This record gives sequence, structure tokens and C-alpha cells, in this order.
Amino acid sequence: MEAPRIDSGRIAEVAHGLDRAEVERREKVFSVSDLSVAYHGNVALDGVDLEVHKNTVTAFIGPSGCGKSTFIRCFNRMNDLIPGAKVSGNVLYHGEDLYARDVDAVEIRRRIGMVFQKPNPFPKSIYDNVAFGPRVLGMKGSLDDRVEQALRQAALWDEVKDRLKDGALGLSGGQQQRLCIARALAVNPDVILMDEPASALDPISTTRIEDLMHELKRRYTIIIVTHNMQQAARVADMTAFFSVLVNEEGGRRHGILVEYDSTTKIFTTPSDKRTEDYVTGRFG
Amino acid sequence: MTVIEPHVERDHVPAPDDATTRQGRAWKNRLFKLAMLFCMFVAFGTLAVLLVDTLVTGWPALSSQLLTGLPSTVAGEAGARPAILATLYLGALVLLFSVPIGVLTAIYLEEYANRERWWNRAIEVNIQNLAAVPAIVYGILGLAFIVRGIGVGRVVLAGGLILTLVVLPTVVVASREAIRSVPDSIRQGAFALGATKWQVVWRQVLPAAIPGMATGAILALSRAVGETAPLIMVGAITYVAFNPTLMGPYTALPVQIYNWTKQPDADFQVLAAAGAVVLLVIVLSMNAVAIVLRNRYRRQW
Amino acid sequence: MRVEFQGELDALEAGFQETGEIVLRSIRGVVDALRTQDVELCDEVIAFDDEIDDRYHSLEKQIELVLARQTPVATDLRLVLALLHSGLHVERMGDQCVTIAKLTKLSSHLDTKQTVMESLVDMGERCEEMVKVSLDAFAGRDVETARGLHRLDDLVDRANRQVFGEVLGYVNDPEALEWGMRQITVARCFERIGDNAVDIGEQTAFLVTGEFAEFTDASH
Repeated sequence: MEAPRIDSGRIAEVAHGLDRAEVERREKVFSVSDLSVAYHGNVALDGVDLEVHKNTVTAFIGPSGCGKSTFIRCFNRMNDLIPGAKVSGNVLYHGEDLYARDVDAVEIRRRIGMVFQKPNPFPKSIYDNVAFGPRVLGMKGSLDDRVEQALRQAALWDEVKDRLKDGALGLSGGQQQRLCIARALAVNPDVILMDEPASALDPISTTRIEDLMHELKRRYTIIIVTHNMQQAARVADMTAFFSVLVNEEGGRRHGILVEYDSTTKIFTTPSDKRTEDYVTGRFG
Repeated sequence: MTVIEPHVERDHVPAPDDATTRQGRAWKNRLFKLAMLFCMFVAFGTLAVLLVDTLVTGWPALSSQLLTGLPSTVAGEAGARPAILATLYLGALVLLFSVPIGVLTAIYLEEYANRERWWNRAIEVNIQNLAAVPAIVYGILGLAFIVRGIGVGRVVLAGGLILTLVVLPTVVVASREAIRSVPDSIRQGAFALGATKWQVVWRQVLPAAIPGMATGAILALSRAVGETAPLIMVGAITYVAFNPTLMGPYTALPVQIYNWTKQPDADFQVLAAAGAVVLLVIVLSMNAVAIVLRNRYRRQW
Repeated sequence: MRVEFQGELDALEAGFQETGEIVLRSIRGVVDALRTQDVELCDEVIAFDDEIDDRYHSLEKQIELVLARQTPVATDLRLVLALLHSGLHVERMGDQCVTIAKLTKLSSHLDTKQTVMESLVDMGERCEEMVKVSLDAFAGRDVETARGLHRLDDLVDRANRQVFGEVLGYVNDPEALEWGMRQITVARCFERIGDNAVDIGEQTAFLVTGEFAEFTDASH
């Protein structure tokens, strides 16, 4: 096996994780300040401040119960659908308050798409799955083209191009998840949120999805929640570590943001001891 | 260097099984099985005997005359065409009214109602109660409010409306179950794409729930078709010798059968049994359609 | 699959090979400087060592990142470890060149002796060859060639002993002795460069076979 001879000057451009300065040079997409989420009065997450920049992958990691899934749902107002959920604090999307009274949650969700932990294709054909978004939003233009584009971007086109009318539930787990990604891409979003997108998949499908994220971040901004820290290390430019704070008197627990920095820093020289304990696996 | 050896219980010998308890347990097992088989035979045996008896009794009268002829005081010439037609019309009316009302009610209760409000919880509790109300109570209600109150009179429409009331709770419950069985992940996925609440319900939840709803509707229908008491209350008059119309008098098949059993002439008993067989065929074939539908569309989520 | 990761590994290896090329040029430079007693060339070689050191530190830093972020295993892990070690060997070679250059400058005012000079130049050329072979063997994952390095190293060791023997004979000529003793150190530097090249060969074998073995033992 021959090792390749490559000009290392050019290789420096290969983004193996942007450093913090490069990230912060990019346009701000989200600006979160003092965010708090409570369900029926029970605080789930408190005092979160962070910023997400364009064309980057940001990962939220942390033990279970630290509120990272709750947090990611704040970005597309999916918490609105949970009765008793109350979000306080500020979330600015391209400078505009996401939770202002006159903001249409439906329009938000077109621009900020979501992929869930367990692949959830609709019980329809592959074509109808991808076409659902454009149809309900009344998007003009050729539906066939949109579907093909989306499936190509999700690296699924070649595998399904001859069976678009087949049921989506007949695909394998990894294919179903890529279908869900295609579905989200079909409506031309700005941001893609992924809540543990690969946790229900086998290692090869997981690697495919991770490779996909590297591709997709050129056009979209990606935020992922993952309980697999190595995944965050591999794909994310910035990583936010959340942990659980136990209220001493009441014994109540809620999530807090411990540290938010470039992935490189988090995994080589984290500033907070709690972060170090978590990433080295000595947590708990 | 100390050698760490795995801890093994070398002298552990299982205690000998107590022979008497082992025998005892086996016998109890067998006894329980026998008891269950016995109960099953009693239940199905009785049913089988009834069916066979009816079939045997009614056999001589099963002919096209029964299906196409008009009632008559002469047993040999009597048929049940008006009754059969009325039963079918009633069935159609029940479907026409109960399905939209029941489905929309179920959608409201499952998708839109805020469960924390007391009135929604009250409705929740009482749907089941409504299904348990004896049908004759609906008959009295129908007589008072529909036949006399609105003044429609003792007509097919009234019968249809009353039967709708009888089966509506069942349709609502079955539709709710069908809607509930649609996994929430489908709704979440649709919302996340920017669909409105109505779009999610109309384009995802309903299509997925239709098989369950259809099954429920057909089962409700087959019950409605067999109801007798409420129809008697609202005057499904016993002797109708013409084809029924929507706003005209009528009699339904169960009522017709009842009437025949009241006749002294033994031939009418035979006729009644034959009528019962026809009714059974109608009901059982509806149930069969429901079962086929349910099996064909049963999904593995 | 894992396109990003593969790109990072390729970049690491390319960086290593480039540094190797630079060190080769340094070796060529000191051999020329030694032969022509060119003091300016010595200064260039000495100045160039900063670049070699910077490159080594950059390689080390990038390896730390790859280990932290990509958790390589199996061949990938061995590659990263082999690059780390080999990078250090290359950096040491650079340091040896600096020592040779400094010594050449120090003794440039003295007369040279042809026999010793020929031996030294010979050693230098053999070292250059060894380094080139070791880098190529690493790139080609060629264990056989890598193992062959220790034979070339024997020749360098023999030349080293020859120089030593020659200089012993200068005991009566103080200037020649001073010059000769400096050249003994130069010879030792070349010998060390040869050893480092053999070490890179051992890393190649480790990378391919998964086992680390010295090609020759210290008693040789």
C-alpha cells in the first residue's frame, strides 16, 4: 500500500475542525442568552448563554437528564407542542427574537429543520415522504426536481432512484434516517437540528451520517445533540458540555451549560474540571 | 505472587426435588387446562346449538320469496323485502351520520382538546358511559325529541337518527383508538417540517388512522342493524306491505322477526327463524369485512 | 468513509515526508560545506534548523489533535505513533546537521587531512542515502527495504571507527590533532544520523507488522 504524497500546504485547508477564532468570524445564526426551560413549573434547564455561527457543526454533549434535547428543541420552537413547557430568556435568530409574539412558528420550522433520534419516516412512499414538506408549504417549482435534489444531498438518491414509489418503511434503519434528512432538506432550510441522529443506527450507518454532516455543513448550519462524545469529537467544530446541577435543599435537578468552546479545546485542554471528568469518562 | 482464582462453589449440589410437590404441580396444571376447555365448550357449544337450531328450523322457509316478497298474513306467501330494505336504509343512514360526527369528535378529543380543562375530562369519562346506556333509553329519547319534538314522525329518517345515537359512542371510541395508535413521532416529524396542526391531522394522522376507523364504523354498523328495542319505541310499525321511503313508515328486519314470532301459526315461527338467519348473514358478513380490513391494514410501527 | 479523518492522516504523513526532504537537503548541505569548507553554507544549515523544529512541533500538535478527536485504532493508530516517533528522529537528524555545521565552522581555519575528509564525505553520502531509503520505505510501507538499512548502517559505523583510528595517529601534530578531534565528533554525528535512519526503518516495520523489534542489538 503506497502512502500518498500530498502537498501539506494545501492540506492545511482541510477543515479538521475550525478553531474558535475562525468560527467566530462567521455570521451569527443563533444568539442565546439566559435561556431557561421549565415543564409545569419544574425547571429543566437554566441560564444558558451561547452563540451558533453559520456553516458550522455545533454539538451538545452531556449526561442524560442534562437538558440538551430540551435545549435543541428551543431552536425550532418544538417545545411549544409540549403542554406545560415554558421557555424564558432570549433566543435570537439572525438578530430577530424567535419567541416574539408575531413570529409564526410554522415559518420558523421551515427554515430550521429537525431530524429525530429514531428515524420516523411517514407511512407513505419514499417520494411522498420527501415531497410532504414542499407540498404542505405550497412551494412552487418542480416537485420531482426538489425530491431528487434533496435525496442527492442526503446521499440516498442512488440507492432509491428506481423505487421512489415504494414504501419508506421498507428501507433499512440507516436509509430511513437519511430519508428523514432528505425530507428536512427538501424545504430549503437554513439550519438543521439533529437530536441524536445516529444513536439508533449501526456503526457503518453512523459513519455515513457523520460524513454527510461534513458535506452538509458547507451549505447549512448544523446543531447536533449526541450522547456519544467521540462523535462530537469527530464531527463538531464547537462543543457545548451540559451537566446536571442538583439543588441541595430540594434535591431537584436541572441542566446547566458548563463549558462551550472549540471541540479541539474541549477534548485536549478543557477549562472546567467537570468537563474533563466527563470527556475522560470519569464522570459519575 | 498471589494467584487470584475465580470463586467457585465446588460443593454445591442441588437439593433433591420434593417428589410430591412436583406431582401436585403437574396435576394442578392439567386441572386448570381442563377447566378452561370446559368453559370454552359451554360458551361456544351453547352458541353453536342456537345457531344450528335456528338454521334447521328456518331451513324450509329460506327461499327467494323471503328476500323479495312482501309480508302477508299467509305464511306461505310472506316475504321480508320491505324489512330488509329498511334495515339496509337504516344502515346507510347510520353510516352517513355516525361516521363524520364520530370521526370529527374523535379528532377534536384526541388532537385539539386541552386535557387539563374540566369539561374535556368530563367528556372523556362519559363517552364510555354513553356506550353502556341501554338502547331502549335512546328509543325513548328519540320518541320524545325526534319523532314528536322535532315532529319528524315515525319515519325511516327518525329510526336512522336514533340508531346513530346508539352507536355514536362506539364510533367515537374506535376512532380515538385508531388516532391514538398513530405514533407521535409521525406528528412530530410533520410539525418539524412546518406543517400546521390541521395539515398534520388531515395529511398524516387521518390517513394512517382510516383502517382502524373503518373497522370501528363497520362494527358499529353491524350492531345498529341488529337493534330492535329502540326501533319498536319509535314505531317501526309491524305491518308494512310496500317498499319503505326516507320519510315514510317502515319496519326493520329484527322487528319483523319479532312480529312473526308473535303469530300463532307455526309456519310463521319457521319464517321467523329464516328471517333470523338472513339477519345473521347480514351481520356476520359485515363483521367479516371489518376483520379483513383490519388484518390487511394492520401496521407494524 | 471517514473522509475528513483520512485527509488528516494524509496531511500528517505528507508533513512528515516534507520535513524529511528538508532534512535531506540539510545533510547534503553540511556534506558540501564540509568538503568545500564553506562557512556561509554552514550558517544556512544552522538557520534552517528552526524550520525543522517548528515542523516537528506542528506535527506533534496535530497528532495530539488527531488522537483526541478521531480516536484512531489498529493501523491508523500505529501510523500515528510511527509518525510521532519518526518525526522525532527526523528532528534529531536536523540537530546532528547543526552540530556538524558548527564544528565545521569552528575548525575552518585549520588544514584538512585528505584521508579523514574522504571518510567523512563518504559517511555523509551514505547517511544521505540511508535517510532517503528510510523515508521511501516508510512511504511505501516496505519492510524488506527498511530491514536492509542496518547493513548500510554497518558501513557508516566502520567508517566512524576508521576516522577514529586515523586521528589517533595525529598525536604528534597539535593542529592536526585539534582538527582531528573535532572531526571525530563530526563522524559521531553522522553515525547518529545513520542510527536515526535505522530507527525510522524500525518504525516502518512496526507500522506494517504491529510488532516493534530492534533491527540490531546494542552489543553489535
